Order: sequence, then structure tokens, then C-alpha cells
Amino acid sequence: MEPGDDPKLGELLKEWRVTGAPPSLDERVLGRPKPWWSFLLTGSLRIPVPVGVAIAALLLVMAAALLRQRPAPPPGSPVSLVDFRPVDDPHVRVIRGPL
Amino acid sequence: MTDAEFREAYGQHKDMLHRFAWRMTGSAAAAEDLVQDCFLLLWRNSTAHDPERGTMRSFLIGVTRNLALKRLRWDSPYDELEEESAVCGPIDPAGRERGELVAQAVAALPPLQREALILAEYEELPLEEIARASGAELAAVKSRLHRARGNLRRMLAPLLETKGTYGTGR
Repeated sequence: MEPGDDPKLGELLKEWRVTGAPPSLDERVLGRPKPWWSFLLTGSLRIPVPVGVAIAALLLVMAAALLRQRPAPPPGSPVSLVDFRPVDDPHVRVIRGPL
Repeated sequence: MTDAEFREAYGQHKDMLHRFAWRMTGSAAAAEDLVQDCFLLLWRNSTAHDPERGTMRSFLIGVTRNLALKRLRWDSPYDELEEESAVCGPIDPAGRERGELVAQAVAALPPLQREALILAEYEELPLEEIARASGAELAAVKSRLHRARGNLRRMLAPLLETKGTYGTGR
């Protein structure tokens, strides 16, 4: 007990009661707990600028490379097998020497 | 400060800070705002608390009292915080609950007297810790507390002799 304490006054003061922190404060300070999958809908990623620039450049290079690839040949007439003849002698002779 | 350390500090001190802020401002909504701001400040600047200089509790009380005094200055820019000469007269207890009258009397104290009284009487903090949290000398805290009790004795004189709700005198 400190000097100057007045037990009677102390008792009277205790008649003013206030409550502790309400649950709404928990939400305001700690945030509402979210299901793990909510990140897929509402999440965001913070990435450093150099990493972002590098990723963007990489995507540009990949897009350019894809565009420069030779286009596939257009589908022509179907292959005809009318003149196809199987090989008479399947034994192949290998000739070695200068051509 | 890790997330777990922050949550632990919040869990340990939130109720005490909320009660303190409520009694300082007289408003539960204002208390909620102040405690939120206090922990936001801690989260953003966790190195601000130096364990060498005091406990986490003292630090958080100090932050909350600074925020509360800032708010009081904003609400009443011409009122002095200290008001050493402030002498409060008796309050009219007619038809009101004792708790309500005590709240009115505490709210009528100058802010620095109110702060010392709340921390000493309601939160039962040692005077040294109050001095540390409020950045004042121990002697100044004792003096504020002495004046606060004197003012309260005068304001609450009609209640110190009686019990229960005051009637309207009819």
C-alpha cells in the first residue's frame, strides 16, 4: 500500500467497472481467420521489382520465340498409297568406299 | 518480432490496455481505436521496445497513454494536461448509480492526474512502473496521485458516507 492510500476511496472507485477487450478488437488487430483456399481467390503476392522485371522480360522472350517458330505446313491433300509398292528385296547391301 | 511474439504480447496486455484507454477517454469505442493503434505501432516498429529500458507492459501503456493524450489534446486543445491547481467540486449524485458517479468524477480529473490514478488504483501498477510508462519522475507521479485522490475525495464526498443508488430526494 502506498502512502496516501485511502481504502474507503479505493473501494468506491472499484464500483466503476469496465470490461476488457471485446472480440471485435481481436479481429481488428489479428484479422479474421481465413480458410487456406481463400488465398487463391483474394491473395496477392509481393515481389521485388528486379524479380518482376526479370519475369516480364522472360515472358517477352518466350513469346517472341514462339512467334518466330516456323509455322506448321498447311494441311494439303491426303497422301495417296495407290502407287505404293513394297520393296522386293528387303536385304540392304551396304557399299563402303568413296562415292 | 515474430508473429507468435506479437500474438503473445497482444493476448497478455489487450484487456489491461483496453480498460486503461476506456477510463482515460470515457469511451469504449475510443478505447478500441487506441488499443488497435497501439498494437499497429508495435507491429510496424517492433524494435521500438527495448527490453533493457522496461517491460513490454510499461512500453505498451506508454504508447497507449501518448495516443490517449494526443486524442484529448485534439478534442480539447485549450485544456491543460497537468492543471496542478485544478480543484474539483462535489458532484450531484441525484438519481444515479455509484459507478456512474465515480466515472464522472474520474473523467473530471485533469488528464495526468487521471492517468496516474487509473494505473495505480485500477491496474495496481507500482509507482515506479507508472513513472516509467508516463516518462515522469517518481515524485511527479506521487504528487499527481495525491492531488487526484484529494480531488476525488471532494467530488465523491457525498458517496463516501453512503451505499447504494442515490435517490432524487423526492
